[in-house]
Amino acid sequence: MADPIRVCIVDDEERFRDTLAKLLSRHGFSVRTAGGGQEALELLAQAPSDVIVLDVKMPGLSGEQALPLLRAACPEAEVLVLTGHASVDIASAMIAGGAADYLLKPCPTEELEGAIRAVYDRRQATRPR
Amino acid sequence: MNAKNSTKPEAGPEGFAFPPLWPHTVLAPGLAGAAVLATLLTPPAVDVALALVAGAICIGSALTLARRIRRGEGELREMDLRLLHSQKLAAIGELSSGIAHEINNPLAIITQELDLAREITADCQGLSDEDLSDARDSLREIAKQVDRCRQITHKLLNFARKMEPVLQEEALEQVIEDMALLVEKEAQGRGVAIARDYAPDLPHVRTDVPLLRQVILNLLTNALHATPPGGTITLLTRRADGQVSIAVRDTGCGIAPENMEKIFDPFFTTKEPGKGTGLGLSVSHGIVARLGGSLAATSRPGQGATFTVTLPL
Repeated sequence: MADPIRVCIVDDEERFRDTLAKLLSRHGFSVRTAGGGQEALELLAQAPSDVIVLDVKMPGLSGEQALPLLRAACPEAEVLVLTGHASVDIASAMIAGGAADYLLKPCPTEELEGAIRAVYDRRQATRPR
Repeated sequence: MNAKNSTKPEAGPEGFAFPPLWPHTVLAPGLAGAAVLATLLTPPAVDVALALVAGAICIGSALTLARRIRRGEGELREMDLRLLHSQKLAAIGELSSGIAHEINNPLAIITQELDLAREITADCQGLSDEDLSDARDSLREIAKQVDRCRQITHKLLNFARKMEPVLQEEALEQVIEDMALLVEKEAQGRGVAIARDYAPDLPHVRTDVPLLRQVILNLLTNALHATPPGGTITLLTRRADGQVSIAVRDTGCGIAPENMEKIFDPFFTTKEPGKGTGLGLSVSHGIVARLGGSLAATSRPGQGATFTVTLPL
């Protein structure tokens, strides 16, 4: 069996990230969670992830500020932005900053899972061997 | 408001030409003055005739000026009302964006909890079949209502979007045709025909194509929902005075006169609860204004409605 996709959920809403982690774990993902950008950096320093699900509006290090730091800390991870605070400006800035995709909350778990798998597969396909 | 200041002083706010003022402000007083001066040099019988002519000129001019002032005041009042309306729409836009953002987060939590609860109840043991069926039905209904809220908040965010349009040259007919093809299948299924009446040799328009597509699709779907089987939706394009217009005309139920003023207001809908968010036309109105154009509606109840998008060339 293939290794599970390692997902790191970065969101300041505790209940949201915990339930999402529970759901993704049930569906075969290996999940870790962080309550903000700083905590995510510490987690990634311990072990890499394949996909980072990143919120935008968070106290402390916001998603926008955290994006370049997370990409530097874990270049092999794809970043999927998932936020309720959507604006086209932020979306295009995040994509220009290297995020792989941008989803708007509330997002059905199935849709989010599909997006996680899609960015993961894309990365696997384009990764230098 | 996108009314441009015209360099011609005689042009009205909508580009309509008004007759010049100088016959009343210069010519009429001049003629009247000349008639008064002439009375000093002419015999009394001619004086009376000249006085009558001078009087008639003055009265005629005064009446014309009074009528023009009244009309001007009426137009000014109408423009004030329209300005107020667009300011109101902008304020609602700001407010809705804030609300949509705040609601999306709790909705996201409800969505995850729902998905988890559904998974758990899918293999639940020990509950009666009826209870389990009720629980699943409740979860389904909650999911449906969350989805309804999701559509509202996402459209509200769209409504409040302040992005500058990205302009590109595109054949207008192509933009309209792309959207017509999207709804044509559904239209055929409902027994509604889509007719085309495109002006030949229309130049390319410089506009934000995805935004314009969104507007046309919205007008088309509205027309489709309003048109009974056997009806026709006609797509027209015209070019006039440096502008191009796209009209979507349907043979549906039309718009009641009392609703005409409200159709571009956010959340106004005549559809059943849950069937329409009441945001389509207000979003379209905002988009067309950002593209430098205008969106107008005309309707005769029972005889369909026409929505016309006018864009600068």
